[in-house]
This record gives sequence, C-alpha cells and structure tokens, in this order.
Amino acid sequence: MSAPGPLVLVIEDEPQMRRFLRASLTSHGFQVVEAASAKEGTALATGHNPEIILLDLGLPDADGMALTRELRGWARMPIIVISARGREADKVEALDSGADDYLTKPFGVNELLARIRVALRHAQQARGTAEAVVEIGALRVDLGRREVTLDGKELHLTPIEYRLLTLLASHAGKVLTHRQILNEVWGPGHADQTHYLRVYMAQLRRKIERDPARPKLLSTEPGVGYRFRDRVEPEKR
Amino acid sequence: MWRRYLATVALVALATATGVSLRGHLAAPDLVMLYLLVVCVVATQFGRGPSLLACALSVPAFDYFFVPPFHTFVVAEERYLLTFATLFVVGLLVSALTSRVRTQEREATEREKRTAAAELRARTEEMRSSLLSAVSHDLRTPLAAITGAASTLREPHGDISDAQRAELVDTICEEAERLERFVMNLLEMTRLQAGALEVKREWVPLEELVGSALTRLEARLEGRPVHAPLPADLPLISVDPVLLEQVFFNLLENAAKHTPPGSPIEISARAVDGQMTLEVSDRGPGLPAGEEARVFEKFYRAPPGGARGAGLGLAICRGIVEAHGGTITAQTRPEGGATFRITLPLTGEAPSVPAELPA
Repeated sequence: MSAPGPLVLVIEDEPQMRRFLRASLTSHGFQVVEAASAKEGTALATGHNPEIILLDLGLPDADGMALTRELRGWARMPIIVISARGREADKVEALDSGADDYLTKPFGVNELLARIRVALRHAQQARGTAEAVVEIGALRVDLGRREVTLDGKELHLTPIEYRLLTLLASHAGKVLTHRQILNEVWGPGHADQTHYLRVYMAQLRRKIERDPARPKLLSTEPGVGYRFRDRVEPEKR
Repeated sequence: MWRRYLATVALVALATATGVSLRGHLAAPDLVMLYLLVVCVVATQFGRGPSLLACALSVPAFDYFFVPPFHTFVVAEERYLLTFATLFVVGLLVSALTSRVRTQEREATEREKRTAAAELRARTEEMRSSLLSAVSHDLRTPLAAITGAASTLREPHGDISDAQRAELVDTICEEAERLERFVMNLLEMTRLQAGALEVKREWVPLEELVGSALTRLEARLEGRPVHAPLPADLPLISVDPVLLEQVFFNLLENAAKHTPPGSPIEISARAVDGQMTLEVSDRGPGLPAGEEARVFEKFYRAPPGGARGAGLGLAICRGIVEAHGGTITAQTRPEGGATFRITLPLTGEAPSVPAELPA
C-alpha cells in the first residue's frame, strides 16, 4: 500500500481487545493508536487528530457517554462505540449523544470493517455533497428528483413514508435511533412517540420489502432503532 | 400473654357459674371435677403459668361458692380440707404433665422441621451439583475445541494443509459463537430467576419483532423456506420489544437446531377474543411423547441422538412470556413436526396514530 491508511484511535481498557483490534485493523491497512483510559484517549484524540474513534463504553475512569459528548464538543470525526449485549440503553444514549454507530461484543472483523467503512464514507459525504441517488438491491431512491422506484417501477409513498425512507437511505449502513428518526420526521415534540415510527415503518416495509416479515432493506436493531442496510451487507461472519 | 391469664380467669368463672346453676343436682365432689376440667383445658391450651393460676383460683372459688356455709371462706367440715388439698395437688400434677407433653410436642415438630430443611438442603445441593456439572461441561467442550484448534495452528513445525487450517479456524469461530450464546443464555436465565427482569412495555407491531429475529438468524436459516404470512391488520401489542424479540429468536433458533436443514418453518399470528396467539411450527421430528411440558424446564435436553443444546433457550422463553402475563405451550403436530404456541393478553387500548393523506 503506497499511501498510509486512515488513522484509527482505539480507546479500550481490555488489553486482549486492543490486541485483536490492532491486529485486524493494521492487517487491513489502517494505522492504529491505542489508549487504555478515557484520559489518555482524550489526549490522543487532540494530539493525533484521528480519522475515526473506536470507543469502549465500559472504561474504568469515565462514563463512555460523557466522553462521547466531550469529544463531540470539538471533534467531527466518526465515533463508533463498543458495548456488551443487553446494554441497549447505553448504546442509545451514546448514539443520541453523538456517536455514529455501535458494535456489540463479541463481533467479527467483517462487522468491524463494515461499520468503519460506512462511518468514514458518511464523514466524507458530510464534508462534500451527499450522494443524490441511493441504490440498494432492486430499490432506487433518487433524492434530487424525489423519486423512489422498485424494480424500475415507481413507488407511491405518503409524505411521511418518503421522509422516513430518504432519511434512512441517506444514512445507508448507519444505525439511527428511534429518537433521531422521530426528531427528523415528526419534529422534536414527538420524540417519545415510538409507536408512530413503528407503525409507519411497518407500512413502508409493506411497500418496499418483498416479504415484510423478513426485511432485507430496512433492518430493526432491537431496543436501539433502525438501519438501512448498506450495499456491502449482509456479510457472513 | 396476659390474654391467656385473662381467659383462664374467665374459664374459672364459667366453671363456677355452671356449678352454681347445677348446685341442686350435684354433690360438692362432682363440682370439683368442673374445676379439674378447667385446669386440664388451660394446661393444654395455655401452658404452665395459666394452669397454675387456674389451680390457685379454683380452690378459693370452690370454697366460697360450694362449701357450706356458702358465700364465705369459712369451712364448716374438716373433710373439705382434704377436698381442697386433692383439688390443688391434682391440679398441679395435671398442669405439670400437660406442660411436659406440650414441650415434647414442640420439640418433635422442631425436629421434623429440621429434618425437612436438611433434606431440602441435600436435594438442592444435589441439583446444584448436577447443574454445575452440566454447565461446566457446556463451557468446557467449546473451550477444549478452541484451545486444541488454536494450539495446532500455532505449532511452528506442524504440517497442515490449507484445507485443514480452514477447518481449524472454522472450529474456533463456531465454538466461540456457541460459547457466547451459552453465556448469554446463562446471564438471561440468572436475570429471570433473580426477578431482576424489567418489562419495559411499548406499543409495537408483532411483525417488527418477528422480522428482527428472522434477520438476526439469517445465516442460520439459509436455504430454509420460512413462511410468515402475518395479517396486515394485526393490532399493536404492548410488550417489551427487546425481550419478546428474544423469545422469537430462541424459538426460531430452536427450530433451526432440531429440524433437518432445508425443512420449512411457519410463523402465524391472530388476534381473537382479547388475546394474541402466535405459533412457530416446523417439520422436524416433533417432541418426545409426554415431554411437551418438560421442554420448557431449565436444562431440559432433547433425548440423545438429536441436536445438543444447553437446555436454556425455551426456559428463557417461558420466563419472558410469563412475565408478560402470557402462556407458552408446545405440541407435536398430527402431520409431523412441532408447534410452539404463545398467547399474550391484549390489554389496554393501543394509542392512535394520526392518519395521513395518501400520496
């Protein structure tokens, strides 16, 4: 590889997890700096200006959520939080505090790379212009012309369905929490009305999924939110 | 405690009143029996202290009311002194004897309780050790496979082909995954048993939960026809979405584990009479006859020959469903395969969602 790969800051207190992340990331062309505590992590984030941060939520010296907020106070680089299963509330809080995505321990290297790729792509798009057309499988969403087609046939969506779909499609591959979606589509006054979202989501799936009970495009992240599947997914572990 | 003494006084008074009303018909020695009866009753019911009081009260009461001259403590005939002494001594003896019997009885009950507790402890201990051996077996087997495969890969002078290497790597990944599922299930079970399960209800469409479980199991269900024709007009249901999704995940994973690859799985749901019923059916070998209820027991395992599981998945399903006030049952279908049926009460009124003009 001629150009050095993107720099990843890993903030994780477990040495064996750091070892796994270092080995798998460097073998895929990334550069890695490591921090074992929140304090060290903040210092390295300021000093090295990494392109992406992997942050474990179970650090001994600080609450991961607080650290996310602190980093978000001055930094725009994507933050992917790492946490255990069963801690959905923590993930939601971290995401609502500005983290870009999450990984649930244990995870495989493919999942890790997919999340990093998506986060880096969205960070790049945020700096430049967003993609005008999102195409996944048989579905094509033309954001410029406000046109949605499935197998080449135009789909008729209600205004809310359209806003829901375009919001998720423009963040393809990235998880969005219930609160984030409700805020964007219905407005901040409705951030707790999760049943609105669930009902419209079911409606939308009936229009775009071949089998709405086995969704391939819009996946549910239990207890967290929804994710429009990235084109590179699904991957096998 | 003082109530017993009060009752004792009342009983002596009652005996006296009875005696007074029968004075014309009974001789004085017969009336003594009334007082002895009171002493016996008090001794058996209230214990030593009150029975001594009964003795002490009986003698003067007898003297006052039944020994001529009546209504004085003066004793006209000497033979009555013997009656007093007999009454008093017999009363004391009865009270001593009965209170000893009471003590012995109490001791016996306590001994019995202790024995029962010891037996229960022994049974619990036995259960715990068989549980521990099952758990440690389930933990050790994948660990042994992982350690073995990893150490073979590390061996510098080993001569292994690429195919063998790939197989060893697959072993490590699969066994690690199995270990993870087992640990997750153990944690979930522990949470359920500790009563630490918090049901956070939200209004959700059932389809979303089934869909999420199917997506998570995508790789495991590959090549299987899955039919999930859920009616579009199913009402929203108030459940904990994360927990209920886990129930569907466990049921589907169970079906995938115990039925031949490629065999179909069907999911159906209906809302009738204030109740949501959901069924997961497969075309596998069905359940062992008579074991339909036992499959939900913790650490229940399918009979040898079938697929091996830790015996926790279905127990977790039952725990979660019951925490929602629902039921879960299993039966073998007449046409072959097993059906797992969940019923959940449809309580409360689903919130409305403002209608939107069609595009």
